[in-house]
Amino acid sequence: MRRLFIAIGVLAAQAAVYATVDDAISRAMEAIDPYVKQGYAVRQDEWGGDLGVKQQQAITHTLFKGNDYWFCMGTDVDNARISIHVYDARGKLVENDAWQKGHFAAARVIAPATGTYYIIVEVISSPVERTHWAMVYGYK
Amino acid sequence: MKRILFPLVIAIATGLPRFAIADAPARQIDLNRFPATKLDNVVVPLPSEVFNVLDKLGTPDWRGELRNPNINNRGERAQIALLLGSVVAEGFVAVEATDRERVKQVGRDVLQLARAIGVEKTVLARTNSILTKADSDDWVGVRRELDGALSDVKNAMIQLRDDQLAHLVSLGGWLRGTEVLTSIVGKSYSADGADLLNQPDLLKYFQERLAGMPPRLRNNQLVSKVQKSLDEISPLINQKITPASVKRIHEITGDVVKAINSKA
Repeated sequence: MRRLFIAIGVLAAQAAVYATVDDAISRAMEAIDPYVKQGYAVRQDEWGGDLGVKQQQAITHTLFKGNDYWFCMGTDVDNARISIHVYDARGKLVENDAWQKGHFAAARVIAPATGTYYIIVEVISSPVERTHWAMVYGYK
Repeated sequence: MKRILFPLVIAIATGLPRFAIADAPARQIDLNRFPATKLDNVVVPLPSEVFNVLDKLGTPDWRGELRNPNINNRGERAQIALLLGSVVAEGFVAVEATDRERVKQVGRDVLQLARAIGVEKTVLARTNSILTKADSDDWVGVRRELDGALSDVKNAMIQLRDDQLAHLVSLGGWLRGTEVLTSIVGKSYSADGADLLNQPDLLKYFQERLAGMPPRLRNNQLVSKVQKSLDEISPLINQKITPASVKRIHEITGDVVKAINSKA
C-alpha cells in the first residue's frame, strides 16, 4: 500500500511539471493568436524552460530581410512579469514594436537585414523561485 | 533548458492587451558581456521563412529550378535523412513553380523516405494533406504541411534519440535550399538577394553538429563530403557576398546535393 502511495505521488509530481510546461506554451499560443488572424504563419515548435527572477535567456535565430516576425512569450505563473526583446548581431535593439502584460509579452521585428539575431527573454518578477516560460513565433 | 516541441493545438482568442506598454529595454547590449545565457541550439529557420522572402524577389523561373530527386537510390540512414531534407526543399520549389503533380510526387517521396527511416506514421497525415491541398491548388496550405512534415520527422527522430539524423534532415534541406537560392540570386544578382546568404551562425551550428557526431557517422563518406562542403562555404559567407561567391556556393551545394541523390 505504501508503494502505491509513493507511485501516485511521483505520478502527481510529474503531471504537475508537464501541466506547468503545457500551460506556459498555452499562454504563448494565446499571445500569438491575434497575429494568426493578421496572416502570420506560426511555426509549430516552441522554445522554453525556466528562469529565476531577473534572469535572461537568449535564443539565437537567423532572420531574413523583409520577413515580418512576432515573437510571443508566455508563462504559467499568473503574477509573474516577463519580457521579450530582439537584438541584432551587434547588440542593437531592432524591434519595431513590443508589449508586455503580466504573463504575456511579445516583440515584433521586420528584419532590416538577413543575419543572426538574439531574442532575449526575461522574468522581470515572479512569486516563485523558478518560472516556466515558453516562446513561439510567427512570420509573414 | 528544454526545447519543447508539441503540436500546435491551442489557439484561443482572448482579446489580448495588444496596447500594453513594455518596460523600456536597453537600446544597446554589449555582446562581449552578454547578459543572457544562450540556449544550446540555434533556431534553424523553416524553409518557408526563406521562400517567403524569395516570393518578394520577383518571378524567377521556378520550373527551371526543379529537380527530380532519385529516392530509389537509397543507401544508409544518413543518406536517407539528408535526402529527406532535400526532398522537402524540392517541395517548396515545386510550390513556387505551382507544379501540382511534382508537389504530389514530393508528398509521396517524403512518405516513402520516412518509412525507410522508421517514422512513417508521423508524417502520414501530413503527406495525405499535401496531396489533397495540391489538388485544390492550396499552395499556402502545402507549404504549411511541408514545414510541418519536416518538423514532425525531426521531432520523431529526436524522440527516438536519433538527434544526429534529425540534424542531417535539416542539413539536407538547407543544402538544397541554398543550391536553389544561389541559382536564383546568381541569375539576377542583387545585394538584397545575396544578403539572404548571410547565415554564418546557422552554418557554424551545422558545422558544430557534424563535428559532434559519433565517428560512425562522421566517417560516413557522404557526411564527410557534407562537412567539407560546409567548411568551404563558411569563409564565403563570412565576408561580403559577391557574385563570384554566390556562384561558388552554388557549385559546392549543387555538387553535394548530387552526391546526396547518389547511393552512398
